[in-house]
Amino acid sequence: MSVQTLPSKASDARPSRLRTTPTDANGQDARRRQRRREAVTGILFVLPTLVIFGVFKFLPVLGAGAMSLTQYRLNGDVTFLGTDNYTRLFDDPHFWESLGATGAYVVLFVPLIIVVSLAGAVLLNKLVRFSGTFRAVLFVPYLSSFVMAGIVWSWIFDLDGPLNTALGGLGLGPVPFLSGDQWLVLGSLALVSVWKGFGYSMLVFLAGLKAQPAEVHEAARIDGASNWQAFRHVTLPLLKPVLFFVLVIETIVGFQVFDTIYVMTGGGPNRASYSLIYFLYDQGFKFLDFGYAAAAGMVLFAVVLILSLIQRRFVEGKDAQ
Amino acid sequence: MTTTLPSTTLGKERRHSGRRRRIGPTLALTVISLFTVAPLLAVVVLALSPEDAPTLPHAIPGSLTLDNITRIFDVGEFPLWLWNSFVYSAVSVVVILLTASMAAYALVRKRFPGRNALLWSIVATLMVPMQATLIPTFILVSRMEGVNTLWGLTLPTLANAQAVFLIRQFVRDLPDEIFDAARIDGAGEWRTFVQILLPLIRPILATLAIFVFLWHWNDLLWPLVVGQTDEARTLTVGLATLNTETVSTAGIMSAALVSFIPCLVIFMVLQRHIVAGIAAGGIKG
Repeated sequence: MSVQTLPSKASDARPSRLRTTPTDANGQDARRRQRRREAVTGILFVLPTLVIFGVFKFLPVLGAGAMSLTQYRLNGDVTFLGTDNYTRLFDDPHFWESLGATGAYVVLFVPLIIVVSLAGAVLLNKLVRFSGTFRAVLFVPYLSSFVMAGIVWSWIFDLDGPLNTALGGLGLGPVPFLSGDQWLVLGSLALVSVWKGFGYSMLVFLAGLKAQPAEVHEAARIDGASNWQAFRHVTLPLLKPVLFFVLVIETIVGFQVFDTIYVMTGGGPNRASYSLIYFLYDQGFKFLDFGYAAAAGMVLFAVVLILSLIQRRFVEGKDAQ
Repeated sequence: MTTTLPSTTLGKERRHSGRRRRIGPTLALTVISLFTVAPLLAVVVLALSPEDAPTLPHAIPGSLTLDNITRIFDVGEFPLWLWNSFVYSAVSVVVILLTASMAAYALVRKRFPGRNALLWSIVATLMVPMQATLIPTFILVSRMEGVNTLWGLTLPTLANAQAVFLIRQFVRDLPDEIFDAARIDGAGEWRTFVQILLPLIRPILATLAIFVFLWHWNDLLWPLVVGQTDEARTLTVGLATLNTETVSTAGIMSAALVSFIPCLVIFMVLQRHIVAGIAAGGIKG
């Protein structure tokens, strides 16, 4: 049967093929040439990015994992250690201290920045006039560097600074904001990061609020809901995806805290503010223990990866395209 | 803003209570504004306070002077730090925007082998924090003899996955007809890219330009690690080191003020693009 159909098919095809051979072959050829030209153009356009990413992104990403398994010296001597850096890390009290301090910082920083930025956004959303002016004024600290924020707030928190002067006027203090116990120091550092960073999350929240349908709020008001009830039972549930986005982003930002600590406390007092990145920085660039520092970097990577994957799963339906 | 409510008796009532309710938010926002602005005002006042005159926090200076600002340019390698920061930020903005736009054009409009693999590799690096690759990147640059050089500082930061990703999103949403028309008109690929695509994606380019500038200008960890001599520092690193040395408060605040002004100017000029960029939800702080 197949033997029969094959010739018949061939004979069916023959006339048409005869008829179209010149143009079809040309067309196919032309199409193939065009496709090749398209591929060449595409590769040429993508080439600068490919080279830059290949050398300075993909290579270091692979290198980070590889280096964490070695002892690496600046002169290029490499000794393979297997998982020794990781076992050493998990036996290192300084590592656990840094993880503890970072965790405590995140616990203070994340709720604070969410409350402040959400409050700012809700208030801005209520305004009819001057909303643009207030929005700009509230956003301005975001333009500064963490270094500048650290310098200004060091002055504010100083034992002779304006805050303690004001507290002194009330017969209080002086409060050792940057040299007291761990929670006080981490709280002070968190406040600085909130000051510098909340403008961004505030605008994210504001965009989320503006996207909410007015009818729902209208309905809540007609039903006699109070401001707080409307916020708690209408605004907040509708804002949940945005809230989750901000929560993840700010948690990641919190785990990466370094700049303000470098400027304000140097990790002290007594390692009270010795964060994970400070640990990595010290191991890498003070003790030149690169493999060990790379292993600490992998811990941060694991934390960020888990948070990113949770977020990706959560907003999959919205982002996957 | 988009909907006008039907004017009913209920609407009238609501508008009344609405006006009253707005006094509360305005007051609350004024208080939060004091929290955001007061530290910045303190920087300005301290930077402009005459030497040895009583100033904050105990007194408000009777007169202001620019002496501290001019004097800070003689401290350390301050003018060089300013220059380094400028090159680091400006070159990054130009190169990242150009290469990322080119890549986005190819990734959306051209079929070539490995296209999807490349796209997803780039997107995957969004999940790798910069600090996790700090050590290998430093080793790489030091092997290339790039430590304490401007190119060693700048080159590794030109791989910006967010820029590629965001521009790609933008290009993908452009209608095919635009490019078909360009092809029919006989425009070459480069001309199509420069004269058709770039003007169309200007909004996202403006947004990215601001953020890339801010990220680089305010960056600490990478410049700190790769620029170890006084001459190789950026302004942000220089500022961080000034703080620990014996420079007067007025001097430090002057340096901080100088570092802040370019960011403020850019913000004032391009403010709406920042808001639009964040509202689109693409840019991570």
